[in-house]
Amino acid sequence: MPIHEKALIRPENLLTHDKLVVDGVDVSGHWSTFIAPRVVTDYNERLQDEIAALPGGEFVHRCWQCGSCTNVCTVNAVNPDFNPRFWIYLIRMGMESELLRDKDIIWQCVSCNKCTDACPRQVVPEGVMKATARWLELKGHTPKSSSTHFDEEFSEQVIATGKIEEGRIIRNFFARTGQPLRQEWLVEMAKRIARRLPVKLGMVMGFAALVRPRTRGWAKARRAIEGHVAREETRRRAALGLASAAAAAPPSNDSARTG
Amino acid sequence: MSETILVVGAGPAGLSAAHALASVGAPVVLVEKEQRLGGAPILSGYAKLVPSGEWAKDAIGGMVARVEDDRRISIRRGCTVDALDGEAGAFQARLSDGTVVDAGAAILATGFTHFDSINKPEWGFGTYPDVVTTTQVEQMISSGRGIRCPSDGRKPDRVAILLCVGSRDRQIGREWCSKICCTVSCNIAMEIREELPDCHVYIYYMDIRTFGLYEQKYYWRSQEEFKVKYIKARVAEVTSNGEKLVIKGEDTLVKRPITIPFDLVVHAIGMDPNVDNPRLAPAFGIELERNGYIGKANAYGTLGETSRRGVFVAGAASGPETIDDSIAQGSAAALAAFALVTQLRAVAA
Repeated sequence: MPIHEKALIRPENLLTHDKLVVDGVDVSGHWSTFIAPRVVTDYNERLQDEIAALPGGEFVHRCWQCGSCTNVCTVNAVNPDFNPRFWIYLIRMGMESELLRDKDIIWQCVSCNKCTDACPRQVVPEGVMKATARWLELKGHTPKSSSTHFDEEFSEQVIATGKIEEGRIIRNFFARTGQPLRQEWLVEMAKRIARRLPVKLGMVMGFAALVRPRTRGWAKARRAIEGHVAREETRRRAALGLASAAAAAPPSNDSARTG
Repeated sequence: MSETILVVGAGPAGLSAAHALASVGAPVVLVEKEQRLGGAPILSGYAKLVPSGEWAKDAIGGMVARVEDDRRISIRRGCTVDALDGEAGAFQARLSDGTVVDAGAAILATGFTHFDSINKPEWGFGTYPDVVTTTQVEQMISSGRGIRCPSDGRKPDRVAILLCVGSRDRQIGREWCSKICCTVSCNIAMEIREELPDCHVYIYYMDIRTFGLYEQKYYWRSQEEFKVKYIKARVAEVTSNGEKLVIKGEDTLVKRPITIPFDLVVHAIGMDPNVDNPRLAPAFGIELERNGYIGKANAYGTLGETSRRGVFVAGAASGPETIDDSIAQGSAAALAAFALVTQLRAVAA
């Protein structure tokens, strides 16, 4: 009999028997390979609520599975395993273990938002992809992505001083992501900038790098932002059933969106 | 020659026809086989109606009161028509109480019969007490008792509504879509979520047919406001694990078998042709269409004509129909019957 759904066969579901007896009949050598059944035995109602508690995931419950998002998807065109429609369904029905199988490709969303335009129900699939990637990080299923590290460094500086200092961001970003600071392209860029940089601007930049000036009267804004970030973080961690924010990492990329 | 118009059946279509005829001064005899007027919405204890959200006892009850209070309408309760002799303009209807009514025309508003889920035994109705029908859920709501598992009276944590029970199923000889069950199920799902906010409601569907404006008001709203979940699956069987009901089938969107536990399973039952149709057809000398509903003579030129001149049909007697459309068809059939009687009287004069 032909196999209709080859796509469903995953290596871990193949059962191979060296010796197999079925109903007292030795069928070794004939029927040694089987595909384990993959039966959905329950729905986890929490999963949808958890994704909906993260920015971008709010409208996941609207999806009616038309597949418009997957049809227009930029990433799906090069990686058929990247299937927003399918993941949204898994989230809606709470098939967590199935979702986790794809944890290493969900982050690949390039945020082109073609799905956002195509979706007839305003699910905002791009937002759901972001929320899902974030959920995977918060739950510890995936390490922090480089973009999360960058967002965190960026927003921590803004919150601390009201300003950003590019050199510091780059240094700290490389440190966070374990990359050497001395990168060929960076050295080349610095050389060329130095060659053409007006002296006065160079002095201003050097001063900023050394002194770390703050926006005047920033303390009040900083307290407000930190309070907001802490509240949001607490709310989200509670929604995800995680330990309180105090035990968690300092303000993260959330502040870039909400602060 | 008689000006009287015989209306058979006092559901939404018959009540509407009787009222319309009385309004234009035509004498009406309304025959109802039950002792109580109102048809399925009243007799089966429906709760809030689509699309207005009014309670059936208020909305249809109001139509009943309007007809009962109208002295121009003669009501024969607990009565059926044994035979309709004569011809258009001069029918003699022999009633089961032995009387004969002279009538110029007749309107059949004889309605439908709810599908009996016992004919779909693999889905557990009649085997497990917690497998119920949409009609039973309507009664739970309209009686004020609320949504409870019949077995032990507990509030369900998880409810499954199975669509197309007794519809679109050649296996049991029902090839039609019953038209209203999707919308009714969305409505019921929202009512369950309203009463029991912690109860999760899943609807198992082949297609969703919340036609016209019901799309937004029922399908979309049930998802967006009430977070009802829709699973594309035709359920294979409903069994029990000793503790809970277990639904087995295939989730066609993930291409995987499912065995999911539930507290309460609701059959969204369809609309069968009235079980009396095989008796009504020879009594009125009319033909049934292939599924057993009362056949219509044409679709556009005039509304509600059957195969016999002077005998009209309205509402779910001629196929699955909504309450509001049944009411509209009752009025349409009333006008058609009134016009025919008026015309025949003019010719006779």
